[in-house]
Amino acid sequence: MTDPVLQADGLTKRYGRRVALADCTVDVPPGRVVGLVGPNGAGKTTLLQLTVGMLTPTAGRITVLGGRPGDGPGQLAKVGFVAQDAPTYAGLSIADHLRFGARTNPRWDQALADERIAQLGLDPAQKAGRLSGGQRAQLALTMAAAKRPELLILDEPVASLDPIARREFLRGLMAHAAEHGSSVILSSHLVSDLERVCDYLIVLTASRVRVAGDIEELMGSHYRLTGARRNAADLPAGAEMIEHSFTERQSTFIVRSVVPIEDTSLTVEQLTLEDVVLAYLSRSIEAHRPELEISR
Amino acid sequence: MIWFTWRQFRTPAAVAAVALAVLAAVLLVSANTITDLYAGVAACQGDCGNAIEAFLTRFDNSAGGTIYYVTLAIMYAAPPLIGIFWGAPLVAREIEAGTHRLAWNQSITRSRWLATKLGLVGAATAATTGLLSWAVTAWASRVDSAAADRITPLVFGARGIVPVGYALFAFTLGVTVGMLIRRTVPAMAGTLAVYTATVAAMPLWLRTHLAPARHETPPLDMDNLDALMIDRSRNMVIEPNDVTNAWTITNRPITPSGQVFTGPSDPARCSPDAPHGSCADWVGTLGLRQDVVYHPDSQYWTLQLAETAVFVALAAALAIVSFWWLRRRLS
Repeated sequence: MTDPVLQADGLTKRYGRRVALADCTVDVPPGRVVGLVGPNGAGKTTLLQLTVGMLTPTAGRITVLGGRPGDGPGQLAKVGFVAQDAPTYAGLSIADHLRFGARTNPRWDQALADERIAQLGLDPAQKAGRLSGGQRAQLALTMAAAKRPELLILDEPVASLDPIARREFLRGLMAHAAEHGSSVILSSHLVSDLERVCDYLIVLTASRVRVAGDIEELMGSHYRLTGARRNAADLPAGAEMIEHSFTERQSTFIVRSVVPIEDTSLTVEQLTLEDVVLAYLSRSIEAHRPELEISR
Repeated sequence: MIWFTWRQFRTPAAVAAVALAVLAAVLLVSANTITDLYAGVAACQGDCGNAIEAFLTRFDNSAGGTIYYVTLAIMYAAPPLIGIFWGAPLVAREIEAGTHRLAWNQSITRSRWLATKLGLVGAATAATTGLLSWAVTAWASRVDSAAADRITPLVFGARGIVPVGYALFAFTLGVTVGMLIRRTVPAMAGTLAVYTATVAAMPLWLRTHLAPARHETPPLDMDNLDALMIDRSRNMVIEPNDVTNAWTITNRPITPSGQVFTGPSDPARCSPDAPHGSCADWVGTLGLRQDVVYHPDSQYWTLQLAETAVFVALAAALAIVSFWWLRRRLS
């Protein structure tokens, strides 16, 4: 359990000329609930599929729990995966799915599976094709959880769920992670889904990792500074500008700084997690704008 | 994984079992009719030509004649149907529904996942077509021996062990095409197209090379002609009858110097006004020979084994491609 959960170094995935993930370097410690956030098409699914071994990298290295993703039954047993849209076999019953899991996973926990299905009030004889989206997601999570993996990965698990089913699903997921001490990585395009449950965040936009780190650290090192209009060069020492907006007379900065900001000419405010993420997202868009104009 | 593959496959397997059972019942009932009709041939001594002729005529006019052609159609339809309905969806439907992402994240490698599927459904394919072909071949054995045509292309592909080879090829073709196209219905169409082209190429161009054909040049027998035709510019077409109990590849008249004989005809002997038979008598004086290439019935099992081996080898090659593709390219 001391191996880092996910270690990527220069990880890149290309489809022909299209880059799905570029030069991704992250190092996620064990025991975390990791949120992977970014707009649709940012490369979240690509990163997660590389992590479970559904895809192989074009360049760079990736290590998951000390092993190569998808490399043999041992590695597969350590990682549980709920794919996007929680695919299940429409023609097979819930019991068939659980039996499939029981027969293909060495550490399968049938009691856990039965208990979860009972808690959800589902009939094991019911066909998966007749379940609602939320129930199907729960079945897929049950299969992944009963595998008793060290790392549980979920790709947009709540995207198709209504708010109540969302909360139920995430609550069940967190209860499982806490009880069994497994690490979790889940992706979403909504920060609000993640901020309640995650303690580690990776922001991915336009196929690049913009920021990755402990959420408490992120919250403690980002500030909104407001004051009389000024240039970015005049910011306090040690403050890295993430976003700058201004009116006639006033400048607003979002900055990252490991040391506290002690500049009396500026109003210093704490940010919400959503503000931090949005700042990084808009920065990546700004960074792309000039390139677009040149290419015209 | 074996249990799960069976769970997914049990409905198609049940459909195939019911179809086989229905066919077996029909064949069992009608087999008695054949035995009754065959009594004349079984009892005959010496020259049985007339008895065989009578048997075949009465068989054709009985219900057995219809069943004969229906089983012929079934024998040719079964392998492509297996390729389309068992092979093509095997992987394509999983990819289409995304369920491969569920299956590949259990603690078994995707190679084992595919190996189990190919092994179990492939075994069912061989068993189904093997039983089917055995039943039909046994049922039709008296008709085939009376008609002496089991080596001719139409009957050859519907008897013995080649249907098993066809079916294994169709199945692995369906799996591989499904993996490449990733969509069930286009994969079904692609499977049918490639299968039909490959199987049709066998009698047309390839099968004759699987065993050395006999080549003979006997004198042209004017009493054994299928057709003798003359057109207005006196060109002649002479077609000798096919070699009995054999698959005739080429059969044409040649002159003593080895050229194919095409006329011209003698206007005095071959005009419409000439007496009946005078033209044939005249051709008989030309010293023509027959250039005939054929596979005798004695090569039947050599050809059956060789053709089955060709299709089993194709199936094995496709299976290797599908494993390679699964490991390298599919996600």
